[in-house]
Amino acid sequence: MSSLMTTAKQNGLGLCPKCHKVNKIESEPQQCSRCHGWFYPRKRNSIQYTLAWNIAALLSFIPANLYPIMIIYSLGIGDESTILSGIGQFVDQGLYPIAVIIFTASIIVPLVKIAGLFLLVYKVQTGVRLKPDKHSKLYHVLEFLGPWSMLDVFVVALLVAVVELGIITSVAAGPAINYFTLTVIFTMIAANSFDPRLLWDKKEINDDMFKGKQ
Amino acid sequence: MDNRLNTKHIVACHLCDALYDKPHLKQGQTAKCNRCGSTLVERKVDSINRSFYWSIAGIILLAPGILLPIIGVTLAKQYHHASLLDCVVVLIERGFFMIATLLFLFAIAVPVVRLFGAFYISFSFKYNRLKPSMLNFFRAYHHLDNWAMLNVFMLGIVVSMYKLLDDTELTINLGLFSFTLFLITSTMASTTLDQDYIWDKLEREFIDDDS
Repeated sequence: MSSLMTTAKQNGLGLCPKCHKVNKIESEPQQCSRCHGWFYPRKRNSIQYTLAWNIAALLSFIPANLYPIMIIYSLGIGDESTILSGIGQFVDQGLYPIAVIIFTASIIVPLVKIAGLFLLVYKVQTGVRLKPDKHSKLYHVLEFLGPWSMLDVFVVALLVAVVELGIITSVAAGPAINYFTLTVIFTMIAANSFDPRLLWDKKEINDDMFKGKQ
Repeated sequence: MDNRLNTKHIVACHLCDALYDKPHLKQGQTAKCNRCGSTLVERKVDSINRSFYWSIAGIILLAPGILLPIIGVTLAKQYHHASLLDCVVVLIERGFFMIATLLFLFAIAVPVVRLFGAFYISFSFKYNRLKPSMLNFFRAYHHLDNWAMLNVFMLGIVVSMYKLLDDTELTINLGLFSFTLFLITSTMASTTLDQDYIWDKLEREFIDDDS
């Protein structure tokens, strides 16, 4: 099956990432004949960029969880809450669906994204037991998850605006919110800089080597 | 193999780079990649008209969706409410500049620009006023693909409501209704837009000399 299939790269062609036009690659970077944008047949230094953004995301995820994300002032006394303690409050109140939504969006999603991208990078690097179809799907999921972890940031932003009743009660955003936003943005850029075609390239090279040995 | 190298008649999968002859699709059909299962080419039904009307609806709903108060709370006999734009203004007043900027970008600026972009593109196609600058415009339009977060903001509203429920009296305002409609129309305006069709047409119109 894979021997019948040829890729654009093998034929000296490349796909423009913006307008999806197949171009003959004459230089790198190649200018697209249709939209005049410059592009490389594979994203350049894809693995390195993904890795770098991913590490940045992981690093900013630590203060995002340690610092308070929201401070509720009632009668002038501040009550700080981190992401986890906020989830704990929902659990205490018995609002389990909301607790699950926030826990998924702000803890599980970023961690799955970071871990998933590390896994993809590792797989491309080593090429051991690479299943490009499965891994492409994983990449698709990671890309889709992209903005959903902004949820908690938006919640705090809304609460700050709505609960603004002078000295009686007010809500302020904590320092964690900046780190959290950075985590989201970094993971989105990391997912963007990964090139799923590398998975297939590596698979082909491995298959060829395997055939050569037999 | 050489006849396949005429780049007009082939497509490549953007996820796995496999080459195919360009399929001739009827409206509503999609071609999937054999190897990785992702969508190769799509012909959306009545794309230009649909996108045009959705974007008009979106532009009408734009002002109420952003300016009308979304939720209001009554606490200790004081009533306070906030719209999407109020959120940004209050955040700036309180000195949370980064969040204000990002909220403005992701929930207001990007969706609005995308909406007007979709409107401009579908308008030009509907009334045949294509200019060469459309090539650049449509390419720039794609840069905003991942950064509209209205749907996430919507979920944020729902979660905030639950957060406010226990110790305040919550009122849902007309703004929530128009914001929801704005979210639906702006999403529909960009998803009904048929990229492949638009690029093909632009290519035939302006870049016929290279073959």
